[in-house]
Amino acid sequence: MDFGFTKEQLMFKQEVLRFAKKEIVPRVQEHDLASAFDFAAFRKMGEFGLLGLHLPETYGGQGADVVTTVLAGEALGEAGVDGGLTLAYGAHSFLCADTLFRHGTEDQRRRYLPRLCTGEWIGCMGLSEPDAGSDVAAMSTEAVRHGDRYILNGTKMWITNGPIADVAVVYAKTDPGQKHAGISAFVVEKGTPGFSAGPPLIKMGVRTSKTSELIFKDCAIPAANLLGREGEGFLYAMQTVEWDRSALLAPFLGSITYLLKRCAEYAKGRVQFGRPIGHFQAIKHKLADIRIFGEAARALVYRIAWCKDQGRPLNHLEASVAKLFIGDWSLAVTNDAVTLHGGVGFTHEFDVERIFRDTRLAPIGGGTSEIQKMIISKLM
Amino acid sequence: MNFDFSETLKQWFAALVEAGKDLAGLLELEEADEKAAASGLRQGLARLAALGYLRVQTRQTDGDKNGVLALMGAMEQMAGCCPSLFLATEYSTRVFGRAVSAWGSAAQRTRWLDPLAEGVLVGAVALSEGAMNVENEPLATRGQRRGDKITIEGRKQSVVNAPAADVIAVAGSLEGEPALFLVPRAAAGLTVSPRRVTMGYAGVLIADLTLEACALAPDAVIAVPDMARMLDGLRFWENQVLVAAALGQMRMALDAARDHAKTHRSGGRPIIAYQEVGFKLAEMLTLHQTAQWLAYRAAWAAEAAPKEAQSLTLCAKIFATEAAERVCGSALQILSSTGYLKGHPAEVAYRAAKYGQIAGTSTEIARVRLGDEAMGWR
Ligand SMILES: Cc1cc2nc3c(=O)[nH]c(=O)nc-3n(C[C@H](O)[C@H](O)[C@H](O)COP(=O)(O)OP(=O)(O)OC[C@H]3O[C@@H](n4cnc5c(N)ncnc54)[C@H](O)[C@@H]3O)c2cc1C
Ligand SMILES: Cc1cc2nc3c(=O)[nH]c(=O)nc-3n(C[C@H](O)[C@H](O)[C@H](O)COP(=O)(O)OP(=O)(O)OC[C@H]3O[C@@H](n4cnc5c(N)ncnc54)[C@H](O)[C@@H]3O)c2cc1C
Repeated sequence: MDFGFTKEQLMFKQEVLRFAKKEIVPRVQEHDLASAFDFAAFRKMGEFGLLGLHLPETYGGQGADVVTTVLAGEALGEAGVDGGLTLAYGAHSFLCADTLFRHGTEDQRRRYLPRLCTGEWIGCMGLSEPDAGSDVAAMSTEAVRHGDRYILNGTKMWITNGPIADVAVVYAKTDPGQKHAGISAFVVEKGTPGFSAGPPLIKMGVRTSKTSELIFKDCAIPAANLLGREGEGFLYAMQTVEWDRSALLAPFLGSITYLLKRCAEYAKGRVQFGRPIGHFQAIKHKLADIRIFGEAARALVYRIAWCKDQGRPLNHLEASVAKLFIGDWSLAVTNDAVTLHGGVGFTHEFDVERIFRDTRLAPIGGGTSEIQKMIISKLM
Repeated sequence: MNFDFSETLKQWFAALVEAGKDLAGLLELEEADEKAAASGLRQGLARLAALGYLRVQTRQTDGDKNGVLALMGAMEQMAGCCPSLFLATEYSTRVFGRAVSAWGSAAQRTRWLDPLAEGVLVGAVALSEGAMNVENEPLATRGQRRGDKITIEGRKQSVVNAPAADVIAVAGSLEGEPALFLVPRAAAGLTVSPRRVTMGYAGVLIADLTLEACALAPDAVIAVPDMARMLDGLRFWENQVLVAAALGQMRMALDAARDHAKTHRSGGRPIIAYQEVGFKLAEMLTLHQTAQWLAYRAAWAAEAAPKEAQSLTLCAKIFATEAAERVCGSALQILSSTGYLKGHPAEVAYRAAKYGQIAGTSTEIARVRLGDEAMGWR
């Protein structure tokens, strides 16, 4: 057993940290206040190589291993990049691009991946529906085969990048009589007649990511837009869970490190009762808890990444443990960080309130904490 | 990076579990009186010595088994089988033993560590005093040179193994310099109080010490480079033991609760089928696994990243010991009347769990330290 990283991995993490601090972080608060997606930052992430970091170079990626990819995500959070942009990056790179890479034909890969890797195109993934969230297999969006086309009807809900995406990986029932085994995956491009996105939802947190419905009304797509095989869609969606529990959780790890630094700086500078509040044990207690949470979460995420690099099948129990722990425990420490800042913690002047709001998604998105408990109690 | 223990270590862990379970059944330490507890400890040590367990970190064994990470894995196994035997063994082997190993002379190491590794010697460490927490007060125990002898005066409280130990390392100072006095159990001037009855670890022999003109030969003194290092070192090793103890307690309680929830039926279904029970188990397992990985990472850091090791170990100690109390409490809830019976593994683990937060670096002091470190004040 060895928890060390290679020199190259650590150097790359530092590069990402420097890049993010210079190119993204200075505009984060402004974009959050405006609930605006930072297109320029996203393109810069593409130029830097982050958007296709784990994809093969043939398709415009960097061919990085999973642990390196996780460290890059951690560096984004550690630099102070907001949860909205990292979520947009996650949905784009892992839920959309990775599925296209794994299950797309050579033509599909060549058409989409190079553009997704540079950020010229933005990708999204539509699985959830208004009446099928935790119980996704109850989805009602249908894809009916007519000759060399599929006709899609239905509505997807909560789709990250939905309003700004150029290409969507969409899950729909090709056999409505079945639950999981009736689901297939498709790729749908923006501008396809019958396909539209709803208006962006106004959200509590992750505001710089744009979220909306995807609406399909007699939307005809070529049969060649089927990804992989009919009936295997649920399987493909579940394969993204590995990314969900590693690369998508990684920015949370980083943002806890960032949060600890912010809180420590504030505690040293803010004077009450004639001394910096950091002298009070109750403040130290909060700092300690932030540190402990960050350290405890770390190995859970690295482990999933390392196992994926070893080619091991995902251990669903361990994946749910990571998601459940980070989802539930992150709330207490981000909440404490706001309290530690007192009144200013409640204002937009300091970014701890944004981190608190962004983190509130952790026990909901990608499978709620209750669903993780359901999985764990079934598998244990 | 590698998240697996080697095959050799896994086999060794399996052998330890087998021995640990045997010993738990055989010794019944949790119910033992003073005499039975003392002889049970000796029997346990003999069996563990044969497995090489007592050599780790004190007397070199083969490389694979000697690391702190391997030790954490091994201690976790033992702690989950037989809590009292585990604690008594570790204060002797890993706290007393490592102190002698780190700071003792070559002659002292040979004299004390060889029999310790063979399981024929029991050690103890006496650190805490009246206002026991050494964070707040300097140690009052003092030695003085008198001719060719050294005499010690002092009082120590709650010393694990004191009634059964062959030798007790008493922390104090010798004419202003930090020192560990190796006091044989039979030394004149040493009085050991009657056994203290504690809430948990009922099979561990704990007592207070009084040292009055207790005379020692000069070679019974370990001169320690500085007081802060000595205290940090002793606490660090103790903290590692307590982290492993917490992991063991959680495993005992979780296994018992899970097995019960799968087999005990209520309303026509196994109780795990009720979310109130199943979800509780999921939370327990999550705490256990998270604590486990944090403990392994802290143990790894002890060798690979020493700068981080102290604070990572404090993180692991706070998290694991608090998690243990929660997990054991939830286990008792799930086990209901079954678990509430005296001697049930979950009940034994629950009573032991609180100790981990009090002893070593207490949870409060550990948090203060971590807070100071975050602000660059340590
Ligand atoms: C900002 C944001 C971005 C998102 N991005 C995407 C995306 O890009 N693509 C995508 O497909 N989806 C996305 N989602 C959807 C997300 O995955 C779902 O919100 C999530 O799975 C929960 O589904 P739901 O909202 O319908 O809640 P519901 O399933 O309605 O759950 C409501 C509550 O009931 C609980 N619950 C449900 N079933 C059970 C049960 N059996 N036992 C106990 N409790 C239960 C849940 O835990 C929850 O607390 C996003 C969501 C948000 C908020
Ligand atoms: C079963 C058992 C076995 C033991 N075995 C040994 C042994 O083998 N050898 C040995 O040397 N000792 C041993 N001890 C002693 C143990 O190390 C002490 O109990 C421990 O250090 C705490 O000291 P205390 O009990 O005096 O509590 P106190 O120090 O009085 O603390 C009381 C409370 O105040 C808090 N507190 C104290 N100071 C501060 C501060 N500065 N800031 C914030 N909070 C603070 C503490 O965290 C605690 O919650 C044992 C104790 C027990 C119960």
